[in-house]
Amino acid sequence: MSARDLPVTDQTKDAAMTAPVSPVPTDGFDRRSLLRRGGLALSIGAIVSACAADFGGDTAPGRVGLADEPTTLPDGVVDDVVLVRTMQSIEHSVKTALELMTAEGMYSSALQTYVDRFIADHETAAAAMGALAVAGGGEEYACPNTWLMDRYIVPIFTAVSTSDDVARDARTATHALETLLAHSYQFMVGLLTVPAHRRAVMVQGAAASRRSATLAMQASAATHGVLGPGINADAPEKDEAGFPIPYAIPATFGQVSQFEVVVGAQDDEGARFSTLLQTPAENTFVYSYLSC
Amino acid sequence: MATVEVVIDHGHGSSRIRDDEHEIMSMTTPKGHAPVNQAPGDARTPDPAPVDGRRRLLTGGLAAAVLAVAGSRSVAAAPNEFSAAELELLRYAQQFEMTASSLYDVASASGPSSALWEPMSEQHEAYAHAIASITGLSADSRNEELFDALRDSFAGADAVQAAYDLESAAVATHSELLDLIEQVRGAEVIASIISAESRHCVVLADALGRGNDLTALLDNSAEPILP
Repeated sequence: MSARDLPVTDQTKDAAMTAPVSPVPTDGFDRRSLLRRGGLALSIGAIVSACAADFGGDTAPGRVGLADEPTTLPDGVVDDVVLVRTMQSIEHSVKTALELMTAEGMYSSALQTYVDRFIADHETAAAAMGALAVAGGGEEYACPNTWLMDRYIVPIFTAVSTSDDVARDARTATHALETLLAHSYQFMVGLLTVPAHRRAVMVQGAAASRRSATLAMQASAATHGVLGPGINADAPEKDEAGFPIPYAIPATFGQVSQFEVVVGAQDDEGARFSTLLQTPAENTFVYSYLSC
Repeated sequence: MATVEVVIDHGHGSSRIRDDEHEIMSMTTPKGHAPVNQAPGDARTPDPAPVDGRRRLLTGGLAAAVLAVAGSRSVAAAPNEFSAAELELLRYAQQFEMTASSLYDVASASGPSSALWEPMSEQHEAYAHAIASITGLSADSRNEELFDALRDSFAGADAVQAAYDLESAAVATHSELLDLIEQVRGAEVIASIISAESRHCVVLADALGRGNDLTALLDNSAEPILP
């Protein structure tokens, strides 16, 4: 007799309403079996996988899956060779930028004469820095600085090429890059250890300062004078359009501080591309293990 | 040579004493009322902290005074980082700058009118003072021989040319000095002067009417004026 054959009394009717009768087992597979067997399978799976061989995955908590081994860079030692290699790479970066703007015809014909001379100067300076690296027992680095190109040169060039006044911005960009070189050479004096190396970089630093001052003279001497806010308290830092004003003599002493360059067309909100140029640091240095 | 630095932070009432590499000790001098951490009416033994705090304050003040004196002594000793030879070279550079300042004063008084003379004089005086600040050498004298040799040219119609030549020579001279100075502080100051005087050359080239002359603007063929 099965439960289904029992007479239905009031008591059993009530009980049947509150406690459903178990369904008739069908082929040995019901919901309870599913849960039981599924749980068993999961438990066994967990035990088996825990006891399995090491598949080489990350054992750190919270890490899932397989990942390539991280590449470990060699320790970068900053010495005089690294510093002059860095300056050589910056010279190549600035030379590349000037050549790009020349190739695109961005300079006025009058300014192009100056820029052609500047390009030759950068070639000479880069060779001098390379020779210094070789004399110091290292290798020269006769190519642009990757970090500088990615962060500064390419974005600036892109902004200039889409500017509403390409000639103005090409001059602004060139002045900024020459100023960056001047600041960088002076900054290197504090890091270099050999006096002859300091002298060699400042020969180039003086030349970069002159190029920077020459462009500043052309850009703003007639309208804003030659003495910057560091000397003349009345000298404005920006013109009416919001561009930083370059001064031939911006301050009493040579500077190593960061400075802003603004180029490019205005966007929908009236803003132009701007960035802060800074002297080289650990992320810009051309370490001895790097090659072109 | 070991140096000692005393840093007194008035904003937080704290002092630190450092040597070249380590923070040797630190002290805190409390400002204002002590924090209230006792409920009103809480009848407990009177807190001796105010007495201890006052004593600590006095002790800290005395220690800070002693350390300030020690610190000031180390600042005065800083110029000894330079060798005697380096001090001689920096003295020479300083007198060169004082000479340049005096020559611009001559131009301002009796040379052709120019808005450049006064700021140029002030800047060269600032360079002499900068050298004084790192060496302890007073900027109170000039190179009389150099001054006498150039005074007439600065007083005459060719003052701008004389100034251009002097700035070019200054850059060449300081560049030579960089080769002879070991101490980085001296080298940094000289380098910053070289950068500025290179810019002076460009401005003076333009004042000479050679603003389109790439050689005058960009090249420096001047010989250094060495002792």
